[in-house]
Amino acid sequence: MTFRDRLLATIRAARPVLEQPGVLVVGSEVPNLLEPDAAATLIVSQDLDIGVPVDCHAAVKLRLGDIRDLVPSADEPSVWVPASRDLLEVNFVGIDPTQDPSEAYVLEDERLPLLVFGALSLIEPGAAIDIEGTRVRLPRPAGLLLEKLVTDRTGDKGERDLLVALGLLWTSGADDLQELEDSFARLRPELRHAVCSNLTILSLLAPRAGMPDPLARRAEVAALLRRLEARDRESA
Amino acid sequence: MRSRVLVRSWDYRQRRHARGVWFRLRRILADAALAYAIPREDALGLMAEGLRAEPVGQELHPPRLILFASRGRIAKIAGARPLHVRLEAELLAAECLALIPFEAGPPVRRGPTPTRR
Repeated sequence: MTFRDRLLATIRAARPVLEQPGVLVVGSEVPNLLEPDAAATLIVSQDLDIGVPVDCHAAVKLRLGDIRDLVPSADEPSVWVPASRDLLEVNFVGIDPTQDPSEAYVLEDERLPLLVFGALSLIEPGAAIDIEGTRVRLPRPAGLLLEKLVTDRTGDKGERDLLVALGLLWTSGADDLQELEDSFARLRPELRHAVCSNLTILSLLAPRAGMPDPLARRAEVAALLRRLEARDRESA
Repeated sequence: MRSRVLVRSWDYRQRRHARGVWFRLRRILADAALAYAIPREDALGLMAEGLRAEPVGQELHPPRLILFASRGRIAKIAGARPLHVRLEAELLAAECLALIPFEAGPPVRRGPTPTRR
């Protein structure tokens, strides 16, 4: 069974929640799903992140019982583990649009507690795509890209996350980049600096198998950096 | 999480101080399409021609001479050795670095090296 098969089987299993209004797929599987025919060629961790807006939490809880072949982890109930190797783990994470991007809090709940990551407040709902009969809502590319770039990125996972950001940049159009720039301009100065700092790190990464090639896109990263710095100077 | 916020704010306030040198170094490397280690005499020759050394090179210890130059000018330096544009040991060990900017990037800088403080 390929990774794509497992990803698609996980989406089918989680369909009752994924089709709930407001719920988004977030995280590293987004670029995999954005590939033609959801080809899922990027090598990422073996999980599917499901973003639950805090005001949809109650409605999502009502659908948890309809999820098939996944059960809550005894260690961390926001993680649902598969009953077989044919599926991926599912992580439920909280989205609170009013949250400060630098902070996080736990939405305590016995059935479905959520860690609400502040950076996810930068995400806005985007297009819905059909994945073999399941309607999956994805974030708008600009917000997801900004979320990837504003988050502290260190170590091996950090570098992979930046390469995922590169994959998003790769598929972004002119309108997405303008939206990214406008959202960037609204960030606090230290967060704008974090975005620029992460772009410099991305620019200097070595290629990795199964990930977007950073060498091929260095000129575009440099151009984006200059564009954001110009907005930063205007905003200062 | 609170500690991360504190570290991020601290990093931000350091951006113009000594600890921010790594960001500044990464920043100029991000503008470089190609990088070459060049002999010191050639680097001094480029400065004598009016090219400006990047201030960040002088903020490292030991100091480095880092200049942006045109592709054509670097081609004339026999001892120029190409490097990966990454924060790797080989690049960091080079005493003199010549960087070729992306075509749409900043122009090759000329004039005296400004001081940061």
